[in-house]
Amino acid sequence: MKISYLREILLLAALILLQVLLLSRINLFGYATPVLYSYFLLKLPVGRNVFFVIISAFMMGFIIDIFLNTPGMNAAAITIVAAFQRNIRNLFFDRNEYEEYIPSIYTATGAFIRFTVFVVSLHITLLFFIESFTLFNLINTLLRIVTSTALSIILMIAIDGLMYREKLSEQA
Amino acid sequence: MKALFYFIIRNLHWLLAILLVAFSFYLVFSHNSYQRSVFLSSSNIVVGNVYKASNYVNSFFHLRRNNSQLLERNAELEMKLLALMSHLEEVSRKDSVEVRAFVRDSLANELFQFSFMPAEVANLTFAGSNNFITLNRGSLHGIRSGMGVISQTGGIVGVVSTVSSRFSVVLPVINPNFRVSAKLSHSENFGLISWNGKNVREAQLTELPRHEVFQRGDTVLTSFSRIFPRNLIIGFVSEQGQRRDDNFNIFNVRLATNFYTLRDVLVIDDRFYQEQNELEQSFLR
Repeated sequence: MKISYLREILLLAALILLQVLLLSRINLFGYATPVLYSYFLLKLPVGRNVFFVIISAFMMGFIIDIFLNTPGMNAAAITIVAAFQRNIRNLFFDRNEYEEYIPSIYTATGAFIRFTVFVVSLHITLLFFIESFTLFNLINTLLRIVTSTALSIILMIAIDGLMYREKLSEQA
Repeated sequence: MKALFYFIIRNLHWLLAILLVAFSFYLVFSHNSYQRSVFLSSSNIVVGNVYKASNYVNSFFHLRRNNSQLLERNAELEMKLLALMSHLEEVSRKDSVEVRAFVRDSLANELFQFSFMPAEVANLTFAGSNNFITLNRGSLHGIRSGMGVISQTGGIVGVVSTVSSRFSVVLPVINPNFRVSAKLSHSENFGLISWNGKNVREAQLTELPRHEVFQRGDTVLTSFSRIFPRNLIIGFVSEQGQRRDDNFNIFNVRLATNFYTLRDVLVIDDRFYQEQNELEQSFLR
């Protein structure tokens, strides 16, 4: 149990650094910026304490905000998604999975992809709308949302595939 | 009563989430680029050091280009030096009077208004609408908020907003909150430079009177400003933008600073800043 918490904190730290040092500097065609840190919410075991989910997500958003000088924006978006994480997962996965089950593309391909698409689009939509509350036109924001979501989903599924394959080769 | 109690217990996580989201939104709306606390920004010492480490690795990939840029600049300055030297020689030969015009004595040196401090970019964002630059120099090195920043090649970069002891955050031209007054090189009418969030290479020059004549490629320079010396290069007019009303023109300006490759900058120290500030404040009072 404790090891699995440790694993999650490490994943969280890795995602923060990845987002801050690499991904947030990417701006494909002037629109698409990958936002991958909601991957953390996808990879939490089914039985994880809901308070842990919300607080860790908030901390993650808050730290990213400090790095990117956007006080509150990432924190607000990811906390909202985290609050609904359990409800969203119940839409796509069986409620009776055992507690330590972690959703993955190899164990439940279709459901995992649908889950990813839902979480990522919700997160990026919230994030970009909060970011552009007062500024800029709607069409520009919508274009950024759509392109960024598509790019993020592709990257996220690719990363999930790679991570699982590594685990398989470790076992062999 | 008991039912209410259980209801609250069962929904405690919603309460927690609402509190955290409310706190986040409080930060979003109370945030002001000039009054933002040092702790919550990238001038925070931990964040600054992470960026510094990552930049250290990054900078190796740019050594070759930076080197060639420096050589070019060096060559350019060398040429100017030669030209000046020969000019000086010519002048002094003509009427055997010692030339004092180009020699600064110690008193004049002290009264020279602007001095420049080199700094390195520790981090830079241009992906979203909320762009900023973190520099590896802070109050220990004499940087204050409100100082202007220009690039090594002379184009304006932005204004220092938050300063910690070793780092500082710059509000760049490519941030929607940035404003500076500007003019075309051949006239004295001034307008306002701002950024519409679309293109990192282009800013907008607004509020310039409509009768102003212009051509593509005209140089845009700084005008009256509390931050920058006059006549620094901002960029070059690339095209006329869409007008919002009949009296003023809008131009798209290709920025002289390339933010994609920005590495080394100069921070401008205005020695008379405080004096001017105090004088103006006393007048307002």
